[in-house]
Amino acid sequence: MLESFQLLMSGFATALTLQNLAYCLSGALVGTFVGILPGLGPIAGIALLIPVTFGLNATSALIMLAGIYYGAMYGGSTTSILMNVPGETASVITCIDGYKMAQQGRAGPALSIAAIGSFIGGTIAIFGLVLIAPPLARAALAFGPPEFASLMVFAFVVLSNVTGGSLVKALMMVVVGLVLGTIGLDPVTGNERFTFGSAYLLGAIEFVAVAIGVFGLGEILVNAAKPPQQLEGSVTVPRLRELYPSLEDLKRSMGAILRGTGIGFFTGLIPGPAPVIATYGSYTVEKRISKHPEQFGKGAIEGVAGPETANNAATQSAFIPLFVIGIPFGPVPAILLGALLIHGVTPGPLLIAERPELFWAVVASMYIGNSILLLLNLPFVPLFANMLRVPKKVLLPLIVLFCVTGMYSVNNSVLDIWMMLGFGALGYVLRGWAYEGAPLLLGLVLGPKLEVAFRQSLMISHGDFGIFVERPVSLALLVVTVAFLLYPLFKLAYRSLRPKATTPASQ
Amino acid sequence: MTSAIAWFVFGAITAALSLQYPLGTLRAPGSGFFPLVLGVLLMGLAAAHSIRVRLEQPKPAVAPEAAPRRLDEATRRVLLFMGVVTLSTALLQTIGYVASGFLLMLGLLRVFGVGWGASALIAAVSAVASHSLFVRWLAIPMPPGPFGF
Repeated sequence: MLESFQLLMSGFATALTLQNLAYCLSGALVGTFVGILPGLGPIAGIALLIPVTFGLNATSALIMLAGIYYGAMYGGSTTSILMNVPGETASVITCIDGYKMAQQGRAGPALSIAAIGSFIGGTIAIFGLVLIAPPLARAALAFGPPEFASLMVFAFVVLSNVTGGSLVKALMMVVVGLVLGTIGLDPVTGNERFTFGSAYLLGAIEFVAVAIGVFGLGEILVNAAKPPQQLEGSVTVPRLRELYPSLEDLKRSMGAILRGTGIGFFTGLIPGPAPVIATYGSYTVEKRISKHPEQFGKGAIEGVAGPETANNAATQSAFIPLFVIGIPFGPVPAILLGALLIHGVTPGPLLIAERPELFWAVVASMYIGNSILLLLNLPFVPLFANMLRVPKKVLLPLIVLFCVTGMYSVNNSVLDIWMMLGFGALGYVLRGWAYEGAPLLLGLVLGPKLEVAFRQSLMISHGDFGIFVERPVSLALLVVTVAFLLYPLFKLAYRSLRPKATTPASQ
Repeated sequence: MTSAIAWFVFGAITAALSLQYPLGTLRAPGSGFFPLVLGVLLMGLAAAHSIRVRLEQPKPAVAPEAAPRRLDEATRRVLLFMGVVTLSTALLQTIGYVASGFLLMLGLLRVFGVGWGASALIAAVSAVASHSLFVRWLAIPMPPGPFGF
């Protein structure tokens, strides 16, 4: 543990250089904007800004992208509280009590407690990352292809189970993503596959095009379908002196903040949209244990403090599976994995040993970023809130212009823009059909890794599928996966049996 | 149900196309093996989804009178939106970044219901500003077009 802290100190030395400090600040600032702007979530925001990092070294690029990620998580609360419009999905729950507080003239305390909770949750979660990541990476070194294949299948099934919609629909999206991931070169033999003679497709489907298309453009198309008068909402901008919470607010929030930290941290370690699950989990817990559950939904400060803290703690701990085993457990870490690969960094068990300067500098930058965000969020909230006065009908075309520019700059290719447009249309259709885009993205990013692990496992076992159940870690993961798959069926069976059991009694 | 059919067809096409590549053996799977598995899996999932939809038997939707008109308006706006982005993308390399950016902004602002005068002004300012930001400051080589910008 002592070694970890020594390495963390050297990470601080790297992260505190003027250059990296500037990237951390700009990432956090841009992330806050991304979080505040409705219609541009962290996935599309990060995907859009990856090209901007091309000129940077891998450490600086990741410091900036990580800053955008947790900055977006901080910023998302602002629109939820002031406008009842979540800047990103994880802020949906903050709308419930945050907006009610704003309507009661208590927007300031809601915003400041969200910032304080986010800071505490984020900081404690980074401390957990420092403690857990190195030993977990050493354990993950024992993973072979069967364990990795089972882990990825586990991640897909759990993510599909927790997205909130139909499990079958989410699994279909995973498979569609996996199919798209097979386009290009076969990762084992190097043969061309599904390229139809196109040199463009040889380089595989550009995941940035899929991310911006499905998440960014798809969302904007949904807005375009609405009548223009439905786009605008009203915003109340609090004054600086109204921002600070009272002693009573702090006292009521502290328990929620600490519980939110625990819930968020552990949620980040499991596959799924961690920040979203963490916020719902935290809100449910706070409401259950509260002495005044009737105040929830009417402006209870715990309903803002808990979820906002959990959201940020989950954001930080979601870096652990990405860095340690190289497998993102959610859509935003999947985007970050893509960005890391572009910069020539392969996350996994060897990352901490082989690139300690990168790993520890990024972790240190998270501490710095969290502090920057606390400083930014409290005094500059009125400034950020004023951004919301820009009408959506002007903002959305501007975001499209940035999408087109960002997409072109990835490979200096118009074909990428066409690809983005195609996936934008798909994103719009998927929303209409009530399909989630996140499993598709995860399938696309992890597809080649899963194929390699799957085929290597069969080669090792000479074609025996038993290899997946003979090894204890792989077996355990598959057992949990099957349990997750069967759970909805058990639930369905239980529901269909229950009325039959009660019928005779009632008659 | 439409989505289930679409994904079933997509799975079937994937499976059929994957047969063009060597399947190999279980000891040494070839390039077509994994996509074939995925195609079949997708067909199975789509079939399961369609069965579930049929079993649930949703009530026939009774659309209110205004609904079809609203749907048409929404579709028209989405098609206009896509048309504007498609046109400006198609012209990007011919007329250059600033002109196609202007066209994109002007068209989209109009789709979102902004008046002609304001649209033209905002489009001009944003096209020039984005050129300054991306091309001059961030040195992203966007297509210059015949005017050099």
